[in-house]
Amino acid sequence: MENSTTIVETHGLTKRFGSGVLAVNSVDMSVRRGEVYGFLGPNGAGKTTTLRTLVGLIRPTSGAATVAGHSPGDPAGLARIGSLIESPGFYPYLSGRENLRVVADLASVKQKRVDEVLEIVELASRAGRKFGTYSTGMKQRLGVAAALLKDPELLILDEPTNGLDPQGMAEMRKLIKDIGQGERTVLLSSHLLGEVEQICDRVGVISNGKLVKQSTVQDLLGEEGVLVRAQPIDQAQEILSKMFGPDAVSLNGDAGALHIKTKPSQSAEINRQLVAAGVGVSELRPFERSLEEVFFQLTGEKQGS
Amino acid sequence: MIATIKAEWRKSRYRPAFLVSAGIIAAITVLIYMLDWYLAVHPNTAGDRAVNILTLYPDQFVNQVMGAAFPVGAAMAIVVGALFAGSEFAWSTLKTMFTQRPGRLTVWAGRLVVFAVWMLIITLVLFAVGAANSVVVASFQGQAITWPAAVDLAKGIGAIWLIFFVNGAIGMAIGTLLRQSAAALGIGLIYVLAVEIIAVRFIGLINNGAYKWITDEFVNQNATALARSFTSPAFGRTLAPAITADHAVLVLVAYGIGLVIVAAGLLRLRDVT
Repeated sequence: MENSTTIVETHGLTKRFGSGVLAVNSVDMSVRRGEVYGFLGPNGAGKTTTLRTLVGLIRPTSGAATVAGHSPGDPAGLARIGSLIESPGFYPYLSGRENLRVVADLASVKQKRVDEVLEIVELASRAGRKFGTYSTGMKQRLGVAAALLKDPELLILDEPTNGLDPQGMAEMRKLIKDIGQGERTVLLSSHLLGEVEQICDRVGVISNGKLVKQSTVQDLLGEEGVLVRAQPIDQAQEILSKMFGPDAVSLNGDAGALHIKTKPSQSAEINRQLVAAGVGVSELRPFERSLEEVFFQLTGEKQGS
Repeated sequence: MIATIKAEWRKSRYRPAFLVSAGIIAAITVLIYMLDWYLAVHPNTAGDRAVNILTLYPDQFVNQVMGAAFPVGAAMAIVVGALFAGSEFAWSTLKTMFTQRPGRLTVWAGRLVVFAVWMLIITLVLFAVGAANSVVVASFQGQAITWPAAVDLAKGIGAIWLIFFVNGAIGMAIGTLLRQSAAALGIGLIYVLAVEIIAVRFIGLINNGAYKWITDEFVNQNATALARSFTSPAFGRTLAPAITADHAVLVLVAYGIGLVIVAAGLLRLRDVT
């Protein structure tokens, strides 16, 4: 099922819990090697259930998945995967370092790797403290450190910025960006769209258990364009239609602005033509939809709700 | 499985539940010895329930520590077993363990080995403290120190380890079934300290004891019988036991295996949510 370019592939992956809740509904998902893949969805959409299924914690009701060349939960596959699913699970009476040593033993990883990953997540100086005394941010960092112990090909992170303050979120984003450099694949679930937009190469959007979209971030956001606010607007539309063709120019919702399907590098030429024709230009900027807009459109959620 | 044993030992060697349990069993052994010593040198004037000082000397310490091992030690083993299994759910550490390299049954097997080792450590603490107390009593009473035969000592350690492990397995199985420790240790303790006792009395009364054979298969009836099989004339126990030591060992081993398999099945088959 898995080919050389994909590291995670699911076909018709479905999970219905005993309570009758259909948490994951026929998900066909593919994550390519080396990319940072954002798994987006509102709370309760099925993100965590899908990720738990991929690491073998949950058995699917139907469908199939291949993760790092193996069935989910296969020891050979687990050896190549690092994961942080929901909150980090560690022993409160042990220090951060000692917790990582336990995980290293389980994963058959050399103990010297523990100090390496503590350095990566910048927790080395506080690794001697008991896990139970850690702040949320430190716990998340330790969770990432544990996920990195195996130096995995695939890193699965489920909402790693949950519970973090703005600074902690920024630091975690930087950490994930750094981790995602090079050959490693990162599968990152989140409901924080800015986070995904900044970090990810491709995204999958899940809503009510169904994968409603899977594409690059750029494709998801749609074609780039330029927004022009000018007076008189009719004259501006006529000039721009001549420049780019009538199909490329449209009113942008509020009647005072035009959306032009063209590269932002054309902005100077647009400005020159409009000003030369005596049109007053009050705003001229690159235009793109935010991931948030696309997300709400795809999931049917109301913005700001 | 070596990796899982190493990991399990690393995390449980400082675990308060085990260390506290070892301390409690040591304290109870000291308490029992001291109270019995007091009663032996200050006998009740009515003469009943007297403690024979001979039971407190080193040659009898294997038989003497059985009183500390059951039922208090067994109840403690249930608590430790329930905590051992249930805490992994409470701390969400089961998912951490199951997403590393080893399979679920390998993880479980490693955990069992370490739990068995801890039950042995607590057993050895019990025997070491019992031996030390017997030496103290003998020294104060001006008695020569004579130790029991090594084979009796080994049998005693084996018996107590089995009782502790099986009761621990009750706690582990309930903890795994309920995915928590609080309810598991509550149910386990209520079973040992109340349910089984009430059931034994009730069944023993039905039809003039016609169904008493059922209670002979109860877990702690057999644990009691096994503990009481370690005796000597100094203890003054003369009644022939209803359950033989051999029968008790077989039943306890069957319970131990059964409970371990049940817990393994639950861990293997259920989702970790």
